[in-house]
This record gives sequence, C-alpha cells and structure tokens, in this order.
Amino acid sequence: MHLLRLLSIPALTAVFVAVPVLWALPEGLTFWRTLAIVLGWGGCGLLLASLLLILRETALAHSLGGLERMYRWHHFVGVGAYLLLLAHPLALAADAWQESPHLAWQLLSPVSQGWPVWLGWISLLFLMSGLAVTFSAKVPYRTWRWLHGVLSIGVLFGMLHLVLLGISEAVIAAVLLAVLLLAWRVIRVDLGTAARPFVVQSVDRIADAVVEIALRPLSAPVASAAGQFVLVAFFDGAAFRGCREYHPFTVSSIQPDGQISIGVKSLGDCTQMIQSVEVGVAARVQGPFGVFLAERPPGPELWVAGGIGITPFIALLRESSPRWPTTLLYLYRRETDAAFLNELRTLAAAAPLLSLKAIATGGDVPDLPSMLPDSTTLAGWHCYLCGPPALITGVRQVLVERGVKTDHIHFERFDFR
Amino acid sequence: MMRTLYFSATLVFWLAVASFRIVLISFPGAEKTAAIAADKIISPAELARHALPSDCWMAIRGNVYDLTSYLPNHPSPPNIVLPWCGKDATEAYNTKTKGRPHSPYADELLAKYRIGTLGKNVR
Repeated sequence: MHLLRLLSIPALTAVFVAVPVLWALPEGLTFWRTLAIVLGWGGCGLLLASLLLILRETALAHSLGGLERMYRWHHFVGVGAYLLLLAHPLALAADAWQESPHLAWQLLSPVSQGWPVWLGWISLLFLMSGLAVTFSAKVPYRTWRWLHGVLSIGVLFGMLHLVLLGISEAVIAAVLLAVLLLAWRVIRVDLGTAARPFVVQSVDRIADAVVEIALRPLSAPVASAAGQFVLVAFFDGAAFRGCREYHPFTVSSIQPDGQISIGVKSLGDCTQMIQSVEVGVAARVQGPFGVFLAERPPGPELWVAGGIGITPFIALLRESSPRWPTTLLYLYRRETDAAFLNELRTLAAAAPLLSLKAIATGGDVPDLPSMLPDSTTLAGWHCYLCGPPALITGVRQVLVERGVKTDHIHFERFDFR
Repeated sequence: MMRTLYFSATLVFWLAVASFRIVLISFPGAEKTAAIAADKIISPAELARHALPSDCWMAIRGNVYDLTSYLPNHPSPPNIVLPWCGKDATEAYNTKTKGRPHSPYADELLAKYRIGTLGKNVR
C-alpha cells in the first residue's frame, strides 16, 4: 500500500487529538488536574476521529487505505477514546484527593453534582454499555448494528457535558463537528442517500447456496474494479421480499455499460433470502470500496481462495489473462459448493501463465503446507488471499514461515462488526 | 485483545471508584478536613482592593474567599471569572450554567479558601 495512504489514518488521528489537547493544555496546574484535562480532551479528539472513520464515502475510503482498514481503526480509536475518558474522572478525583478524600468522593459521586457532571456520567455509561454490546459475539448482526448505535448517543451526551461545563465558546466547534459527522453517517449511509439505484438483470445459481446476480444501473454506474466490493440492499419484487439491509458483496464482473455482478453466498438470514431474488427487483448500491487487488506490482503471484473468496479472482480473470506466472489455489468443501469452478477451468486452459489448483477439502482442515508452493518458488512472489478468516490466518502463517515478506501478503477481512 | 482490554479497563475503573468510597467509609476522620478560617470581618472597601488576577478575593454568600491560587484551576475561561475579583460574586456563583448554582463539590472546595466574613454594609 502506498506510504501516504498507510500513514493517513494515524496522521489524522494524531491531528484530531493534538488540536483540542494543545488548545486546552493548561499551565501552572497540579499534575493530576493537568492529566485529567489532557485525558478528557484527548478522549474527545479520539471520539471525533472514530466518527470520521465510519463514513462510507468512496473517495475518503480510497485515500484512507480502504473501508476495511477504516473500520479496523475505528475500533482501535474508539476503544482508545473510551480508555482515556474512563481515566478522566479518576484523574480529577486524584487531584481533589490532594485536598481531602471527602472532596475526591464529592467530585466522583454523581449524587452530589449537577447537570454538567451528570451528563459526563450518562455519556460514560452509554459508551460503557454500547461497547459491551459491541464486544458481544452472541448478538445477531441486525440487533448488534442498532445497539452499536447507542455509542453515538454517548458521544452526544459527552458533547453536552462540555457545553454545560461552560469551558469556552470554542467547544461549540467540537460539538458541531460531532453532530455533522453523525448526521453525515446517518443520512448518507443508514438512510442510503449515498447509494445508487440498480435493478436485478439476471440471477444464476452457480453452486449450492451461491447465486451470481447481475445488477443494471438505473442512473450513473459505480466505477468498480476487480477485487473491490460494493454494499448492496435488495428491496421487494413480485414475490420476493428483500431485507433492505446493506451487505458487502465482492464484484465478480464489470461490464463496459456499467452492469456489475456479485456473488452471494447464503451465510445468514438476509443472504439466505437473497438466494431467491427475482429479475426486476430494485436494489441500491454503495461503493465501490476496497484496495485488495489495487496497485499490484509486476511479478509472479500466488492467489489463494477459500469458498466464495474466489470472487475477486474470477473478476480479474474475466477481464484478462495473467501477464505474469500465477498460481491459483482454490479450496472448497465439495465440487457442488465450488462457485465458478467450470468457468475457472475453461479460463485456465486458455491462460498459459495461469496454474489452477482446485482442491475439494471435504470436512477436513486443509493440509496447507503440502498445498502451497515451497520457499524457493515463492521467493519474490506477491500473495493475495481471500476466504474465511481461519484460512487466511493459516495460509499467512505458512507463507511467513517460508520466507514471504509480510508486505508481500495481501488480504482484506470483511468483518464489519 | 480489544475485548479483553475493554473488560479489564471497565473493571479497574469501577474498582477505583469503589476504592474512593471505601477509603472514605473506612477512615471517618478523613470526611471533613476543610480548613476553618478565622472569623475576620472584611469590609467592601478592603475586598475591592483585591481585584487582580494575582490577588483575587471574592465575596460569596456573605463570606470572603482568597481565590488567587485557585483561579488557574477554574474550568471557565478567565474572562468569565476574573471580572468578579474584588466584588460580591454571590449572584454569579448561584446562577452558573443556565441559572443553576455551583455543586456541593464546589461549595466544599470553596471552603478551603475562606478568609473571613463580609461587612454588612454591602448588598
């Protein structure tokens, strides 16, 4: 990944923290009070940075290294903000402790305070409960998504806490920025105004529990490339009822007229419903996102696909044959589960530089060391991995053991929780 | 890892909050340590002579406080607080934040800076 894009999120986060902290940095106060102020404003800056990272704008995601990277950093930065904001009242209490233990408790106890401090506590409790839900693996995605939104209420209460403390009129800038970022996210993403209208053009069953859906744009098309994904919501048809939720799907083909195809595997309630989608159903598409196969340096390549993870590679092969020696290792449980398998065999037969190794693993854990090329062959190769997280972790481990540099191993995790 | 960090930090936070309370219950002597200032009568004229950031007295609810050392700690910007140096700031103290008074925490903090009682010919 380009160095500027690699540094973009850390640099932005540093600016979001440095500006309020330097603005509010006091002089001549005790250590604990100074620390409390720095923690409070640092936490506020991190909260604002985490809000910026939940915007789903194609240009923003591209300059920040991809949506998946933005979401990963959103998690780091959000938890960082929570840690600083937890420590903020404790540092204030530690400062009051210098005067007397009673004063320290007076400061911490919500009972003995007014609205400015109550709002601080309410904000902290919202952040605490919102994060508890965020880290709960048992909550279904649909419920989880709504409960995760509780965190934004915590942010708004935190901003009100700042306003009622009466620190300065400049605080309004932080409040306005938080409201703007949240409104942007809700209007553009959750209400779908950033999405474009499409219609289902064709539906092909390409394997058990996998369909390939062609979508025709009704207005401007999305400018996607192989390896990218789009977020698609399906609406109602004559007999079909869409779940109307935006889910990420990798693009499997891109036509010159703007028509795109996506591979959809039944992995949950919504994707199960999509298996029976009809021609003519309205859909909305956000994107494209992702930098998985972008800026590939010239040279031999290893592609490893697990199950529906074959989709970005079929998109690439449908565009053109590889110009460098390329090995595609495609792992699936059974032949009936293997999406695009026959087409891949045809494409491989016509591509002299492509070596296809399609392997049915059954129910067993694949013996990756025997399937992957040896260290001599892999020297200087770039490796692109797409599949279930356990497969990516396993393949990555073998490749590193065989001397492949970590910056030569490319993958994206599609975990939006 | 993030999950573990969240749960550990939350636990440590509540343990720390509980510790402040437990110490207070365990050592009743620590409950009230506010200094008791001598009951000196301070006239409005004398109060008015301490109207600088480097020498700031204020009268609040009939008592006079030397807030010089506290001023840097006050969360509001200087232009909110400094104009009250050398004056009776009771009204400002009672109507902070949309008409609401300062908190009991502030009352207790204030007690530490008390230096006397305001003469009766004011207000």
